[in-house]
Amino acid sequence: MFKIFSSLRKEFLLLINDKVGLALMFVMPVLLVFIITIIQDSAYKMVNENQIPLLVVNHDAGPAGKRLVSLLDSSGLFKVDSQNDIKQNSLKSELLSRGKLLALYIPETFTAGLESNAGDVSNILMDDLGLEHDTTGQQKVSMPRLSFYNDPVLQENYSYSVMGIIQSYMSVIENSLMIDNMYATLDLGSKSEILKKKIISNRVHIDQIVASNNNSTAIPNSTQHNVPAWTIFAMFFMVVSLGSNIVKERVSGSFLRLKTMPTTFMLVMFSKMAVYVVVAIFQVTLTFSMGIWILPKLGLPQLTVPHNFVALAAVVFMSSMAAVSYALMIGAFAKTEQQANGFGAISIIIFGAIGGILVPTFVMPAFMQFASNFSPLHWCLEGFYVLFLKGGSWQELRYVFAFLGVFILICQIGTYFKLRLERII
Amino acid sequence: METQVCIEIQQVSKRYKSSGEDSLTKVSLNISCGDVFGLLGPNGAGKTTLISILCGIIPPTSGQVTYFVDGNIITENERKSIIGFVPQEYAFYQELTPRQNLDYFGAMYNIPKKELEIRREELLEVLGLAKSADKKVGTFSGGMKRRVNLAIGIIHNPEILFLDEPTVGVDVQSRNAIIRYLQQINKAGTTIIYTSHHMSEAEEFCKHIALIDHGKVIAKGELAGLKAENQVSDLQSLFINLTGEEYRD
Repeated sequence: MFKIFSSLRKEFLLLINDKVGLALMFVMPVLLVFIITIIQDSAYKMVNENQIPLLVVNHDAGPAGKRLVSLLDSSGLFKVDSQNDIKQNSLKSELLSRGKLLALYIPETFTAGLESNAGDVSNILMDDLGLEHDTTGQQKVSMPRLSFYNDPVLQENYSYSVMGIIQSYMSVIENSLMIDNMYATLDLGSKSEILKKKIISNRVHIDQIVASNNNSTAIPNSTQHNVPAWTIFAMFFMVVSLGSNIVKERVSGSFLRLKTMPTTFMLVMFSKMAVYVVVAIFQVTLTFSMGIWILPKLGLPQLTVPHNFVALAAVVFMSSMAAVSYALMIGAFAKTEQQANGFGAISIIIFGAIGGILVPTFVMPAFMQFASNFSPLHWCLEGFYVLFLKGGSWQELRYVFAFLGVFILICQIGTYFKLRLERII
Repeated sequence: METQVCIEIQQVSKRYKSSGEDSLTKVSLNISCGDVFGLLGPNGAGKTTLISILCGIIPPTSGQVTYFVDGNIITENERKSIIGFVPQEYAFYQELTPRQNLDYFGAMYNIPKKELEIRREELLEVLGLAKSADKKVGTFSGGMKRRVNLAIGIIHNPEILFLDEPTVGVDVQSRNAIIRYLQQINKAGTTIIYTSHHMSEAEEFCKHIALIDHGKVIAKGELAGLKAENQVSDLQSLFINLTGEEYRD
């Protein structure tokens, strides 16, 4: 027992003497969570919470244009900025100069064109029914065209989504006009309201169901992404401290000296792993505490901690073991401290980038999303996502644990064989 | 009275996988209990390889090393408890203090806590490290580091002590302190196996020597006898006589 205690104490003393390593493991994630969460918060809000800013120029002489603007405004999806004084030919430059991403131009003949088309439809129907109708005085105006402007930085599918929404409101207006026109032709007067209500309001409703096991309504926001993401990043950055610690012991001969003593090398490795797993747990505690209590004070979203604490503990433990095992392997293979620090740090940045730490994987191209499967940081993050956003069941976590288990095993076997090759074990 | 053999080295050879030739070729030696045995030879002769085999750090390619206590063969685990090893390198933790280093390595030798504290303070005092016992070893001079290196190797009062160039790169004062203490523990019964390039130091310190060159033992026996046999007055002349004057890599 005294031997185990002494071994753990030695590792703890080495750790607290490594000021740079401690700063990287504790100060870096705190700063990263603060800075990146604040930076990304507005971007996440744009997707999750904010209305889509839309510049509208309505030159329509009739009521349909106003109705369309009103429908867009009342939908709650858009933040409509009406600027009817802008001319169409200067709309592009106005869009860019005003910092807007989207604009809609409604032409002068918008109402006239829609009414003309509704009249045409009505006339066809009357003809088909063999009913007489009056076509005198009907002015032919071609079907109007709306112009939709978008900033080229916007993704194509985002612009198509907005156009889809506008199109659906256009259907409402067009249907309404056609029904009014037909009822007027049939001299049925205001009775059209009942049909309009039936057709327009009583449409198939789509129920939105959040794909979460505990019906959690938590949605990805800057805090829910950045707190676990940068915690995992910092966990893996222990490669700088633990990796160089191992290189030093290998190079100095301390490991060989231990080989001449009545002790097992497993004790040395166990002590290192135990101390650094505890470090990782402290890292999680620190950054999660920040997410729960400090970030909301800065106006940022609060971190929602999952109810399944056992699953949370398991994800934290597996992530810590993955980070520790990777650091052990780098320490075993590196010839010098510089190699361990340089390669270790760069490899973590690359793993982080492809693993969705810097930007979430869902915004990456398909081949990068595939590549992310080879990053241990991705699976650690996936574990936290399953917990935070999907209510995390063991069933859901099995792929995460399977991959991390394999990764830990590979690193441990690699470390064992390298140290065995050097006759340290 | 006939002295008992502590270590019997029989036909030990070593060839590293990366090397095309033997580092040691059929080395056979007997080291008696209570002796100060010098393993001497030029650079690359195979001294460190032999010490590494004797301490169990590397296995021999062929041959056998047997340890005895009171005439009985002991196991590998028993051997680990009775030997002390002081390597050429500063094989300790530079970020820790001498006290912390001794606590850690002492615990690895299974020394009970109370006993370890007493032994630790005794060694710090004897080796002139008491005043700096709570300073990080990384800030120490070369001589002080050598003394810390030695203290770790003898923290458990080993019956057999291996020293691989324990005084290299240290000042006269530290060298004297180290040799004095080694003579003291040898008188108390510790067998010492020692390598050095300081011929005058080895001559003063060793009772028996083995001269190794190109992995082979070229001379062995009592120092005085070897000098007489080769008609030389000192160890350095004996060394040059037997190993030649050409440079070694």
